[in-house]
Amino acid sequence: MKRLLFLLKKEFRQIIRNPFMLRAIIGVPLLQMLILVPAVTFEIKRLDLAVADNDRSPDSRELISKLTGSLFFRSAAAPLNMADAEAMLFSGDADMVLVIPDDFSEGLAGITTPRLQVLVDAVNATQAMLGWSYLTSIVRDYNREVIMARGAATSAIPGISTSPRYWYNPTLNYKYFMLPGILVILIIAIGLMLAGLNLVKELETGTLEQINVTPVRRWELIVSKVIPFFIFGLLDLALGLGVGWIAFNIPFEGSLLLFFGCSAIFLLAVLGLALFLSTLASNRQQYLFVAFFFTMVFILMSGIFTPTESMPGWAQQFNWVNPVAYLMRINRMVMLKGAGFHDIARDVGMLTVLAIAFITLAIRAYRKRA
Amino acid sequence: MAAVEALNITHRYGRVTALDDISFNVNEGELFGFIGPDGAGKTTLFRIAATLIIPAGGRMTLFGLNTVSRYRELRNHIGYMPGRFSLYQDLTVEENLNFYATIFGTTIKENYHLIELIYKQIEPFRKRQAGRLSGGMKQKLALSCALIHKPGILILDEPTTGVDAVSRTEFWEMLANLKSEGITIIVSTPYMDEALRCDRIALIQKGKLLAIDTPFNIRSSYARKLYAVSHPDRYRLLIALRSLPQVITSEPFGDSVHVVLRDDVLPPEVKKALEETGLHGVSIAGTMPGIEDVFLELMQKEQ
Repeated sequence: MKRLLFLLKKEFRQIIRNPFMLRAIIGVPLLQMLILVPAVTFEIKRLDLAVADNDRSPDSRELISKLTGSLFFRSAAAPLNMADAEAMLFSGDADMVLVIPDDFSEGLAGITTPRLQVLVDAVNATQAMLGWSYLTSIVRDYNREVIMARGAATSAIPGISTSPRYWYNPTLNYKYFMLPGILVILIIAIGLMLAGLNLVKELETGTLEQINVTPVRRWELIVSKVIPFFIFGLLDLALGLGVGWIAFNIPFEGSLLLFFGCSAIFLLAVLGLALFLSTLASNRQQYLFVAFFFTMVFILMSGIFTPTESMPGWAQQFNWVNPVAYLMRINRMVMLKGAGFHDIARDVGMLTVLAIAFITLAIRAYRKRA
Repeated sequence: MAAVEALNITHRYGRVTALDDISFNVNEGELFGFIGPDGAGKTTLFRIAATLIIPAGGRMTLFGLNTVSRYRELRNHIGYMPGRFSLYQDLTVEENLNFYATIFGTTIKENYHLIELIYKQIEPFRKRQAGRLSGGMKQKLALSCALIHKPGILILDEPTTGVDAVSRTEFWEMLANLKSEGITIIVSTPYMDEALRCDRIALIQKGKLLAIDTPFNIRSSYARKLYAVSHPDRYRLLIALRSLPQVITSEPFGDSVHVVLRDDVLPPEVKKALEETGLHGVSIAGTMPGIEDVFLELMQKEQ
């Protein structure tokens, strides 16, 4: 036990002495929160809309002003003809092109059927779909107004009016959705990257071998490696949460204790994984590659950007062993919905099982007779 | 009781045999050297002795404790200094020493007498990080750290490789001093001149032991009459000697060339033959064989 204290003293001394470590521990949460949270967003604003108005009537101008007056669209230069419109889509000067045929106002007057053509750059499918739906809803509104203006009785048009109330994130602020997820990434950066690299460094510089010739026991060495990064990981989480609270006024509905408790379990799982992966690598370069790979897969499949429910079945199966997926869900539940323990008990349970499994795996793999 | 008993130690890395049926004993308080070129298997052998790897075959005991089954007890009694500097470069001299003292459950003060002579030389730099020490100072720190828990045996893997000549001499003086404290030392080196400072040496080559004896006996075991031939232009001398039919072997040795002559040939004859090739003023005299001579002879015999 006393030996463990000496090992810990050495570990903290090395971390505090390493200027990179200190900068990483303080800098990573600040940068991640301040850059990633506002930058990673799916809200589509200010799509470049080019309108080829072949009608040039008061009707067409009104429609155009409705579109460009919304927050979603910004008018780009008007193309002269179809070829011009295509060129604008191709070059990226326009995200969408609306073609208004020359018989548009005649159509509205009931002489022909009014038609509009929309060309969408669908390289980014999400953006294309969202742009399309924004545009059609504005056109629908315009259409309703036209019908009413023509004096048709409202009752004659059976329209179902829906008025949504957005719960848990009433202003549809995308930052509120992202921030709990970014906090998970923060823990991975400390737990998987820094802790793992620290371990592999001991192996690479031969100090591990020197320690192995001493009476230091295997568990003592492992615990002395886990504890410092466990503490720094939780400190970073507090720092990141503080930044989120000050900079983005993130709501926090649930219990802080529950939030930190779940993150602590997650951190243990990640540290177990770091320890395990470090036994597979013989130098820092190898470790970095493997850890990067795991981090990418875990994060992208966790549902941070896209709901896991819309992933293919095998991906959802994979998420059974993806600790990030559990904490991603837990954090959003606790922070935004104010979920209590019984609401997330299943996820917490699975996360605990994973933590125990990873740590067991690591200790078994660490058969270096330390 | 022998400090080290190795019996039929064999080890392989994949298809490469690093150690091939090695057996030897080291007496308590002995300074025992392993002499051999790079890749001879010295490091593997020392890592087995240091309980770091399990030999594929054979067994080794240190003070009667098996290196595989009793490794945990043994680790309290081993001072291991690997060939590569393996202390914490970002800790200071003092912190490193203190760290190793404490994890062995002792203090610097308690065993200071053991390391005093060595540590005194680096003590002025005790606040300096180990990574910023010179090669000689690193080596002294590593030895201090290996000694601070008063081990019964020191295992030193090529401690003088990459160290300047003065530090090397100093180092061997320190080892002689530790020996007088009753510490058993096994040390490996590729330098033949260092072998003379050991009580006994083992010549090792390609994972096999060629000979084990005192340096004197090893040198005396050389079967043939050896002559030292010298001339200011040693390179020309060597070329000339190798072209002479009277000469069986000729190997450079320090300032001279060690040669073995055919049984029926006497030194004046060689001198005359050399003069005919244009080399004048050559001196030739009988000499005591060095460790290298024996090593080369044994290597040739092995092949």
